[in-house]
Amino acid sequence: MHLVDIQHLSRSFGSVRALCDVNLSLLPGTIGLVGNNGAGKSTLLKVLLGLLAPDSGGGTILGYDIRHGTPQLRGRVGYMPEAAAIVPMLKGVEFVAFAGDLYGMPHRDARRRAHEVLNYVGLGELRYRRLEEYSTGNLQRLKLAAALVHDPQLLLLDEPTNGLDPAGRIGMLQLLEDLIAETGKSVFLCTHLLGDVERLCQQIVVLDRGTVVRAGTMDEMRSQVSNRWELSWSGPCAPFRAAIERTGGNFVDPNDEGQNKIMIAVPNGFSTTTFFELARAQGAVLTEIKADEESLERLFFRVTEQAAQTAGAT
Amino acid sequence: MQIDQARYHGWDGKLQTPWVACLAIVRVALVQVFRNKAYWFVLGLGALRFLAFWSIIYAVTQLTLPADVQKMFLREFGFSANGDAGQDNGYIEFIQGQNIIVMILLAFSGSLLVGSDFRLKTLPFYLSRRIDKCHYIVGKLLAVCAVVSILTVVPALLLFLEYGLFTSSADYWIDNWRIAVSVLTFGAVICVVNSILLVTISAYLQRIVPITIAWASLFLLLGRLGDYLFRETHNNFWRLLDPWRDMRLVGQLCFGKFRREIDQELAWWAAGILGAICAVALVALVHRVRAVDVVE
Repeated sequence: MHLVDIQHLSRSFGSVRALCDVNLSLLPGTIGLVGNNGAGKSTLLKVLLGLLAPDSGGGTILGYDIRHGTPQLRGRVGYMPEAAAIVPMLKGVEFVAFAGDLYGMPHRDARRRAHEVLNYVGLGELRYRRLEEYSTGNLQRLKLAAALVHDPQLLLLDEPTNGLDPAGRIGMLQLLEDLIAETGKSVFLCTHLLGDVERLCQQIVVLDRGTVVRAGTMDEMRSQVSNRWELSWSGPCAPFRAAIERTGGNFVDPNDEGQNKIMIAVPNGFSTTTFFELARAQGAVLTEIKADEESLERLFFRVTEQAAQTAGAT
Repeated sequence: MQIDQARYHGWDGKLQTPWVACLAIVRVALVQVFRNKAYWFVLGLGALRFLAFWSIIYAVTQLTLPADVQKMFLREFGFSANGDAGQDNGYIEFIQGQNIIVMILLAFSGSLLVGSDFRLKTLPFYLSRRIDKCHYIVGKLLAVCAVVSILTVVPALLLFLEYGLFTSSADYWIDNWRIAVSVLTFGAVICVVNSILLVTISAYLQRIVPITIAWASLFLLLGRLGDYLFRETHNNFWRLLDPWRDMRLVGQLCFGKFRREIDQELAWWAAGILGAICAVALVALVHRVRAVDVVE
């Protein structure tokens, strides 16, 4: 069964189209939802959770209809919002127990679970502190505890490492990694930090201006990483460049024309000996050849740029 | 058996109906109010006033005082515990007096109880659980009702109980059972009106200063305006602009005791006006409570 299965989902705010014909079929596991600010990540999360009604389209999460099955759905989903979202004057353990109460847990169970999950997320010592006294990092952990209190099947995490210092971020990622490994819970991680996704997620969805520009497993995504090479040579410039282009290579920077140093992306299966053969045929001598693997970050920029160009062309 | 706290443990209990969450909202609201030391002064005032009435009732029922002194005591405190005391029915006076303290408390606590949910973006925290906006609104209204009741209805009923306890038989309770019903009815009116107005104003204005200004304007400025228009036109209906007076008239309606003949006619109009204000406020509140602010 699919974890998330949505079709033709659209949502606008006035004239702003936050989500535009989104189609997704995702298997259980950890899913990274990435995109620039304003790409529609949080809106998608809120539509999935039933906090926002879609203008059109629909679908299911964990088999529950996102339009009509929200009470049952929320009983099996834990949501960690991006904003501070605190209740003033409460202590940590009271806040988490209150989250359990709001899920409909019996109060005694909610209170007991609050202690358990606070210990688990590493806030056992701080549970009797007022929420106003929590640091940003501890507040993020507290919100995670509040999302975990009713033992959900799926966690929707909105920017869980937002605003954290490097140590806090690493700690939070480690905690999530352990949680996923230990419980096998599915996690929908919404972030603009690609490093977080690379570390935690098995599947990735790239959103740009409300549309899905890439969706698939991380392995599929990595297979789309370009095979890039940096070449320097002496001898004729234009003929060698033309010869490389004919083999299917793409110049990464179109502005380096006329230079004897280029960055080129070549198709998979391309052999580097071809460079030498082409250089010899054109009377050039390769002086430097260096592999340059595209990072996920660069890939992200490439696919979003391609999407923008496609949108501009249409 | 020792539980390994470093490991994650599941929970396989059964979730209850979302309406139970309303009670949790009330409980948390009371914790918020009573934990805030700034409100202790106002709560203390309410408690002192209640204790003063308690002492007076004790004195007039337990101490041997001349009848005229007893009457004077009660008159000076504006309190008569008898249902047939006519216009001087003390329970209305007591509740109305306590209501002033409630108003002050609510003006300052609206930001904490409701405004902070919007200001700190806590609303998605509530609405992403198993409750929807209906449960949220009912929970918040009940929370304000609880605060109002603690200072008005509950002490008024305690005074009623005390008066009965200090008489030699249960006749006082039997003869004056309507007082208890009237206290509950008037209390319900105060709770409903105050809670709807406060939650709506706080949901829109969010911060303590604007809420206090709006709250004061509603209950003081409109009253002054109504009085001015009444003086100019001699039309009693202008005085119904004052929600405070409207509540008082409805209180008199609940107890069936009126200071003036005209009040009987005005009381029904006052009830209608309060109903209309509450209906408009409720519509505005439902419109305001949504999980996500519109992205511009």
